Amino acid sequence: MFSKSARIWLGLIAMLSLLSLASSCGGGGNNNEPGTPGDAGGKAYAAKGDEGTITGNVSYVGTAPAPVKIDTSADAACTSANPNLTSEDWVVKDGKLANTYVYLKEGTLADGSKVGDYSTWPNMPASATLDQNGCHYKPHVLGVVVNEPITITNSDKTTHNIHFTPKNNPDWNQQQSNGAAAMTHKLARAEVLVPVKCNQHPWMKAYVGVTKHPFFAVSAEDGSFTIKGVPPGKYTVVAWHEGGANGTEKPMEVTVPARGSVTADFSFGASAMGQPSSLQMMPAIEFPMLGKH
Amino acid sequence: MSKSVHRFALLLAGATFFLIIAGANVTSHDAGLATSDWPRSNGTFFPRMVGNLFWEHGHRMVATAIGLMTIAFNFYVWEVEKWPARFLKRIAGTPGSLAARSYRREPRLWVRRLGLIALLAVIAQGLLGGLTVKLNLPLAVSAAHATLAQLFFLITVSLAVFTSRHWVTPDSTVNESGAGVSLRTLCVVALIVILTQLVLGATLRHSATWDQDLPTGLLLAHLGGAIVVTLVLGSTIATVLLRHRAEKYLARPALAAAMLLLVQLVLGLAAYVTRAASPYDPQPLTPMVAVTVAHVACGALVFATTIVLTLRVFRVLRVDRREYVLAPA
Repeated sequence: MFSKSARIWLGLIAMLSLLSLASSCGGGGNNNEPGTPGDAGGKAYAAKGDEGTITGNVSYVGTAPAPVKIDTSADAACTSANPNLTSEDWVVKDGKLANTYVYLKEGTLADGSKVGDYSTWPNMPASATLDQNGCHYKPHVLGVVVNEPITITNSDKTTHNIHFTPKNNPDWNQQQSNGAAAMTHKLARAEVLVPVKCNQHPWMKAYVGVTKHPFFAVSAEDGSFTIKGVPPGKYTVVAWHEGGANGTEKPMEVTVPARGSVTADFSFGASAMGQPSSLQMMPAIEFPMLGKH
Repeated sequence: MSKSVHRFALLLAGATFFLIIAGANVTSHDAGLATSDWPRSNGTFFPRMVGNLFWEHGHRMVATAIGLMTIAFNFYVWEVEKWPARFLKRIAGTPGSLAARSYRREPRLWVRRLGLIALLAVIAQGLLGGLTVKLNLPLAVSAAHATLAQLFFLITVSLAVFTSRHWVTPDSTVNESGAGVSLRTLCVVALIVILTQLVLGATLRHSATWDQDLPTGLLLAHLGGAIVVTLVLGSTIATVLLRHRAEKYLARPALAAAMLLLVQLVLGLAAYVTRAASPYDPQPLTPMVAVTVAHVACGALVFATTIVLTLRVFRVLRVDRREYVLAPA
């Protein structure tokens, strides 16, 4: 009935149909796989009562970039809910920078063990909430521990989709209509930071820092942050702020004394920020053979 | 040969060009995952067309319309028609043998088969589109979707050429001596190079969303491709104009390709400048979207004019293959 080429085409289409069907049947819904916050297969740290605190301020040096007005005209529900929506990448007030994620990247405790040796710590956070409200995410930057349930809610009168775009964790994209029940999502692997976006409203962005320990904080509007319950030891504290494709990291070495406090102040500025709407030249290309003769 | 078949094929090719523009808007707006549903959007076939769903669902609607058009085109060219009785009565007094005579609207089997291939391609394209949404836009599937779009465009443009009056009954043939580079070869090489460049461009566009930096390796490959296309297509155009300037049937698509190539190079530079800045913008801004979409559209037009030029060259060019034997001294 059909020629050979027609049979090949029909076979290919049938194969694609089956693949499509198979993919549509799997996945989706809430990600409620087993696992408790911090459950990543390491040792448990027992509090000794000599833990200290890291406090600090995040500043912005120089003239802060003015927030850019977001064009929400593509969705009237967003325009009416939040007519003055602006970009949130550089929220600066009196020289203090909000939404900077500060965390312990690595370090050695006073007893010689490494931070990375432990997966369970006292006072692990139980859950976090990410709300879509006024067509932007609240909070804009969020810290969680691995396997911590993130409750996602939609307070807007429009449909959003929540798209986690991690590198170390599985991609996750779900739509949530107005009035829909809250969703829950967990991230099983540490990753700083996971971008979250709404593909329906492309200005909507949030960042979720995922660590194996609870030693992180997000700077408040006055730039301040506090990380409590840190065991005495030497650590690399990193402040991360968004901007451009990958954000900017600022590391700092600190020593946390027993029952004491240490200050870690960070500053970002023109050199650290992205350059809105300016020409970015192509990254330098390395030619391995050149200069090695 | 029917004029209406040609018009239908032209309409299909034009609609496919519009579909390519709609698809480019989806990529530039980062709207590919505006809904995780497929084939429905947000659980319905008629969602509220707000935000990026306008682009994604709009693309699906245009694609559906073109799928239906392709089905209709196939019905149209395969349709068996009888000679109108009134016409037969007038010319032959309705003899029985003539009254029973019927014909296909498109008499050439290979053209009708090409229509079927177009239908299979558009079905496969729809499934690839669904697959890329369900799998969260894996680069390989997305790039394959964009590549098949260009191949479908190739088929529809070819159908428009094959059904044209000039193709069926060429006004004249063009003679060319066997000396020098074969124009047919040049055209085919240009077509392959352009298609490769379109695939590279599609892969580049799908490898990073507007808020990410474009991968340097692919960017350089696309830049190198632009140089190769300029050299090969430029040589092809120059050869056509040098050898057959007076032959409008060949010179016109060559001139059109030359102008479009120039526009495309400028658009390519503009697309790079606006796209390189976009990761620092709060949302995909109109200049970046407009320029990148125009770059995709113009690329498709360069491809289309080269397809027309190549097919016409194959149709009317007669290569003189006389062998010259040196006379003995």
